[in-house]
Amino acid sequence: MENIESQIFSSYQRNPQLLDELHEKDGSIKKVYQTLFELYGQHSIQDYVNLNNKAKASFFNQGITFQVYGDNTVQEKIFPFDLFPRIIDPQEWEVIEKGSLQRSRALNLFLWDIYHDKRILKEGIVPLDLISTSANYLDQMVGVDPPGGIYNHISGTDVIKHTDGQYYVLEDNIRCPSGVSYVICNRTALKRALFGVFNHYKTFTVTDYAENLLELLESTKPKGVDVPTCVVITPGMFNSAFYEHSYLAKTMGVELVEGRDLFVENDFVYMKTIKGPERVDVIYRRVDDLFLDPLEFKADSSLGVPGLFSAYKKGNVTLANAPGTGVADDKAVYTYMPEIIKYYLKEEPILNNVHTYHCSRPKELEYVLENIRTLVIKPVDEAGGYGISIGNKLTDEQVDAVRKEVRQNPRKYVAQPIMSLSVHPTYIDETQSFEQRHVDLRTFTVLGRDKQFVLKGGLTRVALKKGNLIVNSSQGGGSKDTWVLKI
Amino acid sequence: MYNEYQITYTAQNTYEHWVDKAYWQFMVIPWEDNSQKNVQVAFENSMHFPMEFSHNGYGFRTLRCHSVDPFKEITFKAKFSFLKMEDNPFSFVPNASISWEYEQLAQLTHKVDFDQFLKRTNLTHLPSPAASLFTFDGEQSIFDNLLALNGWIFDQIYYTPGATDVHTTLKEVLDMRKGVCQDFTHLFCAIAKDHGVPARYVSGYLNQDGGFFGDTQMHAWAEAHIPGVGWKGFDPTNNILANANHVKVCHGKDYTDCAPLKGILFGQGENTTTHSVSVHSQQ
Amino acid sequence: MLARVANNLFWMGRYIERSEHIARYMNVNYFSSLDAPNLASQDRQFVLRSMLFMVGAPETNDEKRVDEESVLYSIGLDPEFPSSILNNVKMARENANSARDLISTELYESINKFYHYVVTYPKEVFVKNGLHDFTVNVTEMSAILRGKIRGTLLHDAVYAIILMGVNIERATQITRMINAKYNDALKAQGSYESKFSKSFEWTTLLKCAESYDMMRRYYKKTPTSISTLEFLILNPNCPRSVMNSLNQVYKHVKIINPERRYNKESTAFLIGRVRAEYEFKYIEEIEQDIKSFIDNILRSLTEISNKVEEEFFEY
Repeated sequence: MENIESQIFSSYQRNPQLLDELHEKDGSIKKVYQTLFELYGQHSIQDYVNLNNKAKASFFNQGITFQVYGDNTVQEKIFPFDLFPRIIDPQEWEVIEKGSLQRSRALNLFLWDIYHDKRILKEGIVPLDLISTSANYLDQMVGVDPPGGIYNHISGTDVIKHTDGQYYVLEDNIRCPSGVSYVICNRTALKRALFGVFNHYKTFTVTDYAENLLELLESTKPKGVDVPTCVVITPGMFNSAFYEHSYLAKTMGVELVEGRDLFVENDFVYMKTIKGPERVDVIYRRVDDLFLDPLEFKADSSLGVPGLFSAYKKGNVTLANAPGTGVADDKAVYTYMPEIIKYYLKEEPILNNVHTYHCSRPKELEYVLENIRTLVIKPVDEAGGYGISIGNKLTDEQVDAVRKEVRQNPRKYVAQPIMSLSVHPTYIDETQSFEQRHVDLRTFTVLGRDKQFVLKGGLTRVALKKGNLIVNSSQGGGSKDTWVLKI
Repeated sequence: MYNEYQITYTAQNTYEHWVDKAYWQFMVIPWEDNSQKNVQVAFENSMHFPMEFSHNGYGFRTLRCHSVDPFKEITFKAKFSFLKMEDNPFSFVPNASISWEYEQLAQLTHKVDFDQFLKRTNLTHLPSPAASLFTFDGEQSIFDNLLALNGWIFDQIYYTPGATDVHTTLKEVLDMRKGVCQDFTHLFCAIAKDHGVPARYVSGYLNQDGGFFGDTQMHAWAEAHIPGVGWKGFDPTNNILANANHVKVCHGKDYTDCAPLKGILFGQGENTTTHSVSVHSQQ
Repeated sequence: MLARVANNLFWMGRYIERSEHIARYMNVNYFSSLDAPNLASQDRQFVLRSMLFMVGAPETNDEKRVDEESVLYSIGLDPEFPSSILNNVKMARENANSARDLISTELYESINKFYHYVVTYPKEVFVKNGLHDFTVNVTEMSAILRGKIRGTLLHDAVYAIILMGVNIERATQITRMINAKYNDALKAQGSYESKFSKSFEWTTLLKCAESYDMMRRYYKKTPTSISTLEFLILNPNCPRSVMNSLNQVYKHVKIINPERRYNKESTAFLIGRVRAEYEFKYIEEIEQDIKSFIDNILRSLTEISNKVEEEFFEY
């Protein structure tokens, strides 16, 4: 054991302040990781470097890349992938899976309510102000019954494990959550590189995502449609998630369309094929609300389809996710999630919420301003990790600047205690060794008509920069294959 | 008692360059309810492009059209005929208790139910609190206060065609003290909302036989919701209540929700649109 | 299949085929000229001008000396030159990107590799001593792509559309090569021992079309103008001939539109008509006026391409 360890993990430094997924508190290797640890230990670091390079080349050649736009150039980058997988044991996974599903269901009921009777607002459980000042609430959706009663067909729940060993949800993503294609590609890449390790573990597959997604999307088909035609709509090949859009269309076996491929006639949606128009019934849309229909929303959008919204309102087409879901993944609504879950489901929340201070409330604003150094300040409506300030990482000038900004726009910000994301051994190119890096987990939940599905796995994102807590790919994050073990 | 109405709406569009592809959506068809009925629509365009009926996101009837061939100019013409009820806008039963009305406004359920027409929009945003402009008299009914507000706006702002456009803010209007029916209406809605009274923008036609203000295009006025009474129409441009001369097309939070014509063009260059409307009624 | 995506697939096929022909034309002309039997054909200026002529950017000033490195660079790797191999491969990949959900992972991966190979090929190496390596790799990679198209796609509409693009482009490129070489043969004649009909350029032309060996096998004689043209234009069994390409286009359009009804507005009708015209031509007719023949066939191919676009890609 000592010898094995010296080969590949010899220089691994464990910071006892952090919760390491590989180790127990006393420094011993966790049971689920033991076999993996031994198997990886049989490789020399040079083997590992070679495998890693091969995996990278494979991603690159397959074009599993995203574009980074410079001044005059477009660079293609691969989403960094780490060959050391993360393992989630069955008991922990059960909590995550049930918790993710619970949240998605509660959010769906919440959306139905705020676009219909608005009971939760009338009873004062969620403040009216939160909804009426939200730019993502669509008045046009009031009274619309989405087919199958589903708003958030696809939800991405961002979960972390804190130093207390508990899972916390950081964010619910129910607009167009992305990343699921990486889950599947990571698994494929790991199988190609180190197929041997799979012989020792019984891991749930992740490749069944597309078939489940298609089945559940089809279950929310419009009334009167027998066999629905489903498509994926993308903003186009210059979108940073285009690979995922094409991947999902391909694996579901449906057309990948752009706005210009569709048109609306008499409130029905058609796509332009080589054999003329063909009716479209279910649209998995990866285009934001405001770009869906230039006649209804942003008139200068060329990504959308004129008339699409009226076809939707008539119930002639399903949009997944439904327009107007963005109001519920607002970071201010997040803070009411425990109440929302209890209100609709009469259940206790399974996953913890991080305590949140609302800067719009004078008392809490005072607390935030006084304790900035111990808090994370987040804008309410930005995605992708932008605009986040982590208190203990700021210089004095930055603290002053953040204070000033928050004081001027309190409604725009919330604050949370700094959560310490768990760490996981991660191979670092520059030092050619394994180091501790912070990780989170995005789970993918799909809701259909009376059916639901949680992908057994999910995207483990790694903050590759040392000490960094922000795991988004746009901020230099990578990812890991994530194994959910069968009992 | 019903009057027979005929309205002709014309929109003439000319473009600097040839346009390859375009979509248009018109929200110009009279709204159908008990006071406006038997609406008949005839619609045509000079290019003979296909047209169809639909509804916008708020459920109002629209006419849609898209181009088939490239074009440089196009004229749309719509003719409507319908019956309009002659009624007295003052003939309603007022609430017995004035304080009850204000209590209703303060209820959370009332605020939730009418949130759409209570929240501020860019076009109904006041530069300073409404109270600094116009105060409500708590001793008077909401209706009477709104009537006074109607008159106050009529006195404050001078009807000046061409003084503003669809993007003009209330701050600019209040500074200039000039505006057109949209601005009068936005100001009315903004102040009413700020006092907790739900108010909405109404787009429609005005029969100008009575010598009213308004131009040869579409007209705008406001509707405010009074607990126990319902929605009442106020035309601050003319300091009157909406009556048998007001033909409603649609309502919304502000002009943006009610734009009579939306066009999406795939092409370059400028374009100009001239609208004209003629309204006739026979008794 | 979406009309827009069909358009992408069609052009993907065309760009792949185009880059291959340009690369081979560069390669064959450059390297056969090194030991060509007559002076004119050996002249470097002559060869470079022929390349420029073939890609549609002829140097019209006879006095001007064209610079070897800059000609090779612009046809090979210049991102500013629209007909460069680099741009053709780039366009092939961009079109493949838009149709990514319809083609196999294997095909996409090969196109992607092809693209990265071309885009990262060092310019300095290419113009100094990389011409052979680069052009051979380009032709081989396009051959691999053809293999992936045939071997990993379902032979349905997707496949048919790509092959229509490939074959329309092939006929076009072969015609362009004939045009360029005809032009060269005219220029080279009069020099020592070289008659137009027996010009060395016909051998080069056949090699550009990868048809030299088969042609020798078929005619068992040194290529002449007439036998070369017959082989490359009319022989339905020569895989690169115009006739064969037209047959392929016809075969594949029937997959997309299997309708048997008489419809003179359809693409299939137009292709059939053009095909019939060449099926019953004899080479002497063509040889009398090669110039008009070339103009005619190029015009017909453009018409076919436009018709395809009109019938299948525009709604």
